[in-house]
Amino acid sequence: MKTLAAVLAASAATLALAAADPKQKQDLTSVIALNGKPCGEVVSYVVQGDNDFLATCKDKNRYRVYVKDGRVVVDKK
Amino acid sequence: MKSRLFLLVVVIAGCTAAPPPPAPEPAAPKVARALVPAAASEPAPAPPPPAAPQKAEVPSNVPASPPPVSSTPKAPPATKAAAPAKAEAPAAVATRPAAAPPLDLRSLEQRLKDTGAIGVLTKLSLKNQVDDLVGRFKAFHGGQRPPTLGDLRPAFELMLMKVLSLLQDKDAALARDINASREAIWGVLADHDKFAKYTS
Repeated sequence: MKTLAAVLAASAATLALAAADPKQKQDLTSVIALNGKPCGEVVSYVVQGDNDFLATCKDKNRYRVYVKDGRVVVDKK
Repeated sequence: MKSRLFLLVVVIAGCTAAPPPPAPEPAAPKVARALVPAAASEPAPAPPPPAAPQKAEVPSNVPASPPPVSSTPKAPPATKAAAPAKAEAPAAVATRPAAAPPLDLRSLEQRLKDTGAIGVLTKLSLKNQVDDLVGRFKAFHGGQRPPTLGDLRPAFELMLMKVLSLLQDKDAALARDINASREAIWGVLADHDKFAKYTS
């Protein structure tokens, strides 16, 4: 039980850290722009899974950015 | 996968860096080639000396002679009829710019893969778009119309602009090299045989 709690805490810490990674924000910003979606700049994001992000832009737009069948998909939320 | 990445580099490298605008460059050799035979057959007209920026072939009727510093003072004992063309040939050779280094697409591909200027998701998204563009070129070379080359060139330029804008701030050297390879990359994409060679 203690081990499980430790793993969960570590995972949560990792996710929280990743969500603040400026390089990841820049990557998401570039991907959204490459796909021609309005955004400006990603100000925050949440990791939803492996290669699956929910990005919030400066202009309040929100996009789910994920990889499906080897393609990067950007869906407006 | 490798070939796709390679094509990505090709497409990306696409397009532009050549200092002069794209149009004049292909035209120059034609002008040079057109002028050389004209000079060979008609010695009278005096073509403008700087007209041969690249490879100025010496006309076949002009014997190989040591490049004189000045052609006017003493006429060499060779044929006089070809004197104007002869005078032009050494000048053209002297002004010929150094040959451009061969396009190293493999190196560009590797540098693009290795660069830290583009994030993983961005690279994958870029690759998706390059694959799509290469697919359009495949359709073109397969005889499908549209697209025409006129349709594909803007798409190619746009793709290059995307790549260059991603690279220019954080990997300026790679951006510069890709930009310099723009016409060469377009040459590969637009030419049926070269395209087939690179996609095989």
